[in-house]
Amino acid sequence: MTPLQQYLALSIALFFIGSWGVLARRNIILIVMCVELMLNAINIALVAFSNYSPTGAGRGEVFVFFVFALAAAEAAIGLAIAIAMYRLKERLSIGDFDEMKG
Amino acid sequence: MPEFQQTAFILLSILILASAFCVVLFRNLIYSALSMIGCFLGVAGIFILLHAELVAAAQVLIYVGAISVLVIFAIMLTGHRAGDLRLFFHKQAWVAVPICAVAGIALMVVMATATYNATKDAQNPSDDAIASLLFNEYAFPFELVSLALLVAMIGAVILAMKEKK
Repeated sequence: MTPLQQYLALSIALFFIGSWGVLARRNIILIVMCVELMLNAINIALVAFSNYSPTGAGRGEVFVFFVFALAAAEAAIGLAIAIAMYRLKERLSIGDFDEMKG
Repeated sequence: MPEFQQTAFILLSILILASAFCVVLFRNLIYSALSMIGCFLGVAGIFILLHAELVAAAQVLIYVGAISVLVIFAIMLTGHRAGDLRLFFHKQAWVAVPICAVAGIALMVVMATATYNATKDAQNPSDDAIASLLFNEYAFPFELVSLALLVAMIGAVILAMKEKK
């Protein structure tokens, strides 16, 4: 296994642990946390490809900064929605929010 | 990869994957948040191994510094009555395990069999090069991201604000 493949294997493992967390847990805040884990996995893959690339070193790192900014925005909005939902129902379990169900 | 880097990579991988499992498996949300911080620190170490020191510093500042504090704030504000403890796993949790495992193994196979046009060792792009890419070639996406952050900040304030009756 080349070094690049080792980093990619770590990235894939972290991504799917995060996606399991998103699918398995009920608490909205924990789902936001698992989405952050998945974004971290993507960042590992971006930096690994960027710095092992023979031509475009640094290009992937620029995109990692964009991912950082959007992850911060996503966390702020997601947690604000969680707090608003908690204020509405005093609950944070995703099963409790079924107002749109026909 | 030299011997020392190989050892560091294995130790950091164990830290990252173990704390990621802890995030998913802990019942107490505070414990989950703390192991998420451990995972972020491990990822910062991986960035240093990849010679991306600027990204590692930003990772510590943004993830460990800002996002973790935001998450812990949200946990504290919502309290421990946030859900039935018996229901901390969704009903579909055990269906999700094989789905994630199969998708992950499929991606691993693709990753292992692909051919890469990669250099032998990780390069170290200078901070000057990254800065000039960010402010010349990617100046428009950069401005767009700053606008998205501003909109997200205003949206978060409006959502979390108490409504006046």
